[in-house]
Amino acid sequence: MFKGVVTSRALLATGILLLVLLLLPPFIPRFYVYLVASIMVMGLLAMSLNLVVGFGGLYQFHHGAFYGVGAYALALMLTKSGLPQWLCFVGAPFVAALAGLIIGLICIRLNKLYFAMLQISLGSLLWALAFRWYDFTGGDDGIHAIPMPALVSSLTGSYYFVLVVFVLSIFALYLVTKSPFGGTLQAARDNPQRCEAVGVFVKRHQIIGIVVASFFAGVAGELFVVLEGSVFPDLLFWVLSLEILIMCLLGGWFTFAGPIVGAAIIVSMRTFVGIYTEYWTLILGVILALLIFFLPEGVWGYLLEKVGKKPSSYAAERGR
Amino acid sequence: MLRVEDLKVTFGDFKAVNGAFLEVEKGEIVAVIGPNGAGKTTLFNLITGHLRPVGGRVLFKGEDITGLPPYVICKKGIARSFQLLNIFPRLTVFENVQVAVLSQYNHSLNMLRPAKNMMVAETEAILKDVGLLDKADSIAGSFSHGDQKILEIAIALGNNPEFLILDEPTAGMSPEETAATMELVKRLAQERDLTLLFCEHDIDIVFSTADRIMVMQLGKTIVQGTPEAVHNNEQVQQAYLGGD
Amino acid sequence: MDVGIAVGWSELATQLLVGLSRAMILFIIAAGLSLILGVLRVPNIAHGSLYMIGAFAAFTVSKVVGGPAGFWLSLILAPLFVALVGFAAERGIFCHLYEREHLMLLLFTFALSLILGDLVKMTWGVEYKSVTAAGALQGSFMLLGLPFPKYNLFLLIIGPLVAIGLWLFVSKTRMGKISQAASVDRMMVGALGINVSWVFAMAFVIGCFLAGLGGALIAPTVSITLGMDHTIIMEAFLIVIMGGLGNIWGALVGALIFGITQSLGVLLLPQFAIIFPYLAVIIVLTVRPKGLLKSIW
Repeated sequence: MFKGVVTSRALLATGILLLVLLLLPPFIPRFYVYLVASIMVMGLLAMSLNLVVGFGGLYQFHHGAFYGVGAYALALMLTKSGLPQWLCFVGAPFVAALAGLIIGLICIRLNKLYFAMLQISLGSLLWALAFRWYDFTGGDDGIHAIPMPALVSSLTGSYYFVLVVFVLSIFALYLVTKSPFGGTLQAARDNPQRCEAVGVFVKRHQIIGIVVASFFAGVAGELFVVLEGSVFPDLLFWVLSLEILIMCLLGGWFTFAGPIVGAAIIVSMRTFVGIYTEYWTLILGVILALLIFFLPEGVWGYLLEKVGKKPSSYAAERGR
Repeated sequence: MLRVEDLKVTFGDFKAVNGAFLEVEKGEIVAVIGPNGAGKTTLFNLITGHLRPVGGRVLFKGEDITGLPPYVICKKGIARSFQLLNIFPRLTVFENVQVAVLSQYNHSLNMLRPAKNMMVAETEAILKDVGLLDKADSIAGSFSHGDQKILEIAIALGNNPEFLILDEPTAGMSPEETAATMELVKRLAQERDLTLLFCEHDIDIVFSTADRIMVMQLGKTIVQGTPEAVHNNEQVQQAYLGGD
Repeated sequence: MDVGIAVGWSELATQLLVGLSRAMILFIIAAGLSLILGVLRVPNIAHGSLYMIGAFAAFTVSKVVGGPAGFWLSLILAPLFVALVGFAAERGIFCHLYEREHLMLLLFTFALSLILGDLVKMTWGVEYKSVTAAGALQGSFMLLGLPFPKYNLFLLIIGPLVAIGLWLFVSKTRMGKISQAASVDRMMVGALGINVSWVFAMAFVIGCFLAGLGGALIAPTVSITLGMDHTIIMEAFLIVIMGGLGNIWGALVGALIFGITQSLGVLLLPQFAIIFPYLAVIIVLTVRPKGLLKSIW
């Protein structure tokens, strides 16, 4: 069933990377462990966004809203609901997926820019709620000192938790993109009219894509809570959503791994540049501008082209 | 098999189709001709559900399919190719046809298995039939115009249709390509037991291929009949064939 | 959570007027955005940063010149400065990007807003700034038994003036009519021998001027801070979408809805007043996805 889907070269590279990630914590300073974990969280979020933007062609400009919903859902469930902890962890992404379903259903009737703007206003509504509803969500202070299961309350524990969830989620997303669902989604991106003519109910397809993407955004939100122990309304603010869009663009949104590469670059740069200057935003802006001018395929996409692989399609490694 | 009754549609004030009638029997090859702007493509769009009519009916195998969305009509057994190129440019040739095949066998929503190894035999069979098998792994957008038009037809075949609608299948092709394509189309219709409806500007093609011809002008059907009957029809001669 | 307080007619009327005056500023900013969107087809995220620059520039002018003269001068100089910045950005970078995909243009304006935002931080620092309006505009007078700020009255006069000015420009001047034509069909305009590139530049500059004017006008009423750009750009976009892309009257309608729902929201649910405009947008877009008035797209 999986014959020929992944090259042995790619498999080997991934295996080595996994091994490195597994063995990392004892050998590097705590700060870097935290950094790598943050990259994984952002990477997962960016990957989930790319499912609908890169593969689906939808203008999902406020994906961060589902990330925030997942994070807040977990935080609120852990602190206020009295449900068993494991249940909160399982349930939070479903809350995010539900938000994705509702918002998706409302926005899907519109095209492109209108879709984006409606989603932004719906997401901003959620942000405003979180920001103002002091009694429930902690307002602009957020919620802090969220109780975590003992397993993940240390940095190393949370690192491994993040790693395991990250790997499983990425694997799931990979399956989705390579599946008939993923292929049809891409076809719908390129030519929705033709897709309808071959019997595909395009809008339903896209909504399902949004729900899946929101689910994994919610998972990323959970991982954030595990790593940080708190939530803030900023998670729901639209600027974050544009940042993840930049990560996808930077990495290359017609590739699979591009968004992770983009996330790694952005998070690392933000951390290191932040040490030297407080004008990280300026540099991010310049990077983005240069990218648009010179590298529309993104960093990863550009590299893939250089080694001769085409960055698109859902069966790229056929016969290698 | 297919019947169109008094179909009408307007764009704002413009009556694009204003009384179209069509009958296609099972196994027939029917062509629609008419001057530019007569409403041929619009008629096809109405039949396949890409446009909603404001009046009239479309019946397929006795069932009223007027105004149904395209993906439903496709599942009923009608497939179509488009006049302006409508392929999936970023996917390979194989993937282009595979999308249709997967959809036909209801696998489009399957998220759990890699698509690469699904429905390979069926897809390759179609590609072999149209002569594109050796190009299966090339990106569709990089092809010549003629090959892309053949891909158009191949995608439509992916849905294993009973009824195939081709909108100007030889537009933009050289005379050799045109002849070859029409041969291909006739062969496919025979081998796969297809009923064919197409429209064309090239009158010779139409007269040599079609069993019956329907003539449209200004959104209306003028006449439908055998090639001789149409050729001898006065209205048609005046309006179209240049009987000055 | 307060669910509303006893509201008398005079409170309602005063709130309504407050909302209207706020809407005037929103209109000016949104009109600029709509103009750029309509003529250049570019959703300009940097519009918010330009507004912020307008506010900070107004601060500098009024501080340097001092007194009431400083305030009045800032209303002219700050928008001009912003227009200049816009002109430089357009001629220097933008005009090379017009053929790109929309998404790219949008992201580029986002990059620009990030850059401008930090440039503001570099130039003016992080502390709050404030501007004092001219003496004549300070304080309130009694309206229907409640105090009504004089500055709001000033806004209620300026707003319609700007609207009329824009309308005259667009429908009566040659330049204005050409921009309208260019927004509908730029190829035809080019074919008529008119330099479309300069039409774009001019529309962009006027849009930036309006953004700067909005910033200068709001300066006396709020603390001028970093982050102003983020809040205003979302509101401006939502207003433009509500009203119809590229439609200046639509910007007026959208701004009115936005401003009034927010100020009335303060009466009903003070803690959540901010939600009402967003709800209004959602309702409008659900009922009329293309906006209330005719969209140019």
